[in-house]
Amino acid sequence: MAIKVIKSGIADTIQDKGRYGYQHLGIQPNGFLDYQSAQLANFILHNTITEPVFEIHFPASTFCFTSNYTICISGANFVPLLNEKSIALHTPITVKENDVLQFLKPLQGRVAYIAIQGKIKNETWLDSHSYFAKRIQKNDIFEWGANNEKESSNPTHTDLPNNSITNEIINGIINEIQSQVFSTDPIRFIPGPAWEDLTPSAKESLVSSKFQISLQSNRMGYPLKGPLLPLHKPNQYLSAAVTRGTLQLLPNGELMVLMADHQTIGGYANLGQIILVDLPRFAQLSNQASIHFMENNIDTAHKLYQQIEKKFIHRS
Amino acid sequence: MSSKETIFEKSKWNVNLLGDHAIVFSLTANMQEEIIEKIIELKNWIELAKNDFIIESIPSYHTLTLVYDIQQFYKNKIAIENNHSIIAFANSLLTQFELTKKNNQLQFETEKKQENNSPIIIRIPVCYDLSQGIDLENLSTKNNISINEIIKKHCEEIYLVYCLGFLPGFAYMGKVNTKIQIARHASPRKEVMAGSVGIAGEQTGIYPMNSPGGWQIIGRTPLKIFDPNPSVLGKLQAGDRIQFYPIDFAAFEKLNEYK
Repeated sequence: MAIKVIKSGIADTIQDKGRYGYQHLGIQPNGFLDYQSAQLANFILHNTITEPVFEIHFPASTFCFTSNYTICISGANFVPLLNEKSIALHTPITVKENDVLQFLKPLQGRVAYIAIQGKIKNETWLDSHSYFAKRIQKNDIFEWGANNEKESSNPTHTDLPNNSITNEIINGIINEIQSQVFSTDPIRFIPGPAWEDLTPSAKESLVSSKFQISLQSNRMGYPLKGPLLPLHKPNQYLSAAVTRGTLQLLPNGELMVLMADHQTIGGYANLGQIILVDLPRFAQLSNQASIHFMENNIDTAHKLYQQIEKKFIHRS
Repeated sequence: MSSKETIFEKSKWNVNLLGDHAIVFSLTANMQEEIIEKIIELKNWIELAKNDFIIESIPSYHTLTLVYDIQQFYKNKIAIENNHSIIAFANSLLTQFELTKKNNQLQFETEKKQENNSPIIIRIPVCYDLSQGIDLENLSTKNNISINEIIKKHCEEIYLVYCLGFLPGFAYMGKVNTKIQIARHASPRKEVMAGSVGIAGEQTGIYPMNSPGGWQIIGRTPLKIFDPNPSVLGKLQAGDRIQFYPIDFAAFEKLNEYK
């Protein structure tokens, strides 16, 4: 009655929205790299949108189901195969005992999410299922129970009359999230505490140059290749809290964007933070993909974030 | 109290956005006792109000960072009172904080202190045996100071925790006596044992778990400084005062919680 890992990938984990409230103890929040795609997969299955999912990187794990489940895959397209036959993304798929799920090749994006209909039964740490400093290993076993087994306090569209969510609405949301997550628009950020310490030409350079995702990128952070950004003072700061999406300037003049597994504090120049709405898009960039940055403001950032989140709580 | 004074008090604080889901209050960027104490005072005061949209409150040296839930903020009546501006909310917090302080209603000040008003000191045993303090000889040579003198200097100071980070439960403490200050290793060790006590510049710290690390290791505590058990977690928080005391290797073995 479970899902078994028969081959482990390079960096696969279980993630949910993360564990907040412990950073003052040095415990990082973890959580989805791309919360929009993860929420979408849950939404399609009528799950609570923040239900834990498998977060898959390529080369990916291979799973064997030891009982029947309904699953949905969103985010990156790694060409999922069920018993060696290709299956669709963003679609509820019924899997049966002994079915094998694997991923063929990375076509688009960096992280895929597998949601399972129901509620995960594995243990939590500090109210979150997000993996802390570990990965999914071969022979790991995961169990999901039916949706009604546990009460949920989070918003879910199953609270609404069944007929209020039509396929048309779901397809509309899929299209909107997909175009948001995989668009090539500039990545928007709000200037941070050390923004004014950049030289004027460095400021200009940050918003006008092309940056490339480095091969060393992982869940802790994505280093970027691009023009060196000089400060008009030494790059030495008293450590202060950072967030997911912080643009940290390393001592060598290169940028590093901190991601979900970031350390809680940082002592390098904090140039700004990517707005939450653009973070999934940034997270999905493959190694060596190019991006541009664009300055943004808090009012727009909040408005856009609320617009996206509202889509998951549709009211008829 | 004149209004001039209030303005003066408040002007020492800076409020900045940290992206779209965090704000940061800051004072002058110095590693200084009075500064971290003020930061902790503000933290404790903000936590009294239990605003549901604030999901993290992270003190560090001269800053207090609040992480908030965007949707919860807009649902809260505080958002309406502050014109839907998180910066306006942050500024109103500061005004109220300084006002409350002026009116001497800071009950929380006594909460973390003993009755005689002297702060609680957490005492931590450290084994400075050469088998544990693997960089003791290095420090002794480089700083031209005997090992006994290093131990004495490290134990006579009462340290203040300025922040936690790097690893769960890793406390940055200071300040270390200038005679035993030493820069971290140019390239970090692949693995430092949990409980190891190190020095880096004017700070001292304890590795809560086995980890790569560059601090100069002068000893090891047998006590678990961080325990993932949710009812325990970290034993140290920013603003805490701690003092080390030496134990011999036999006592270390007896107390060893890492076995």
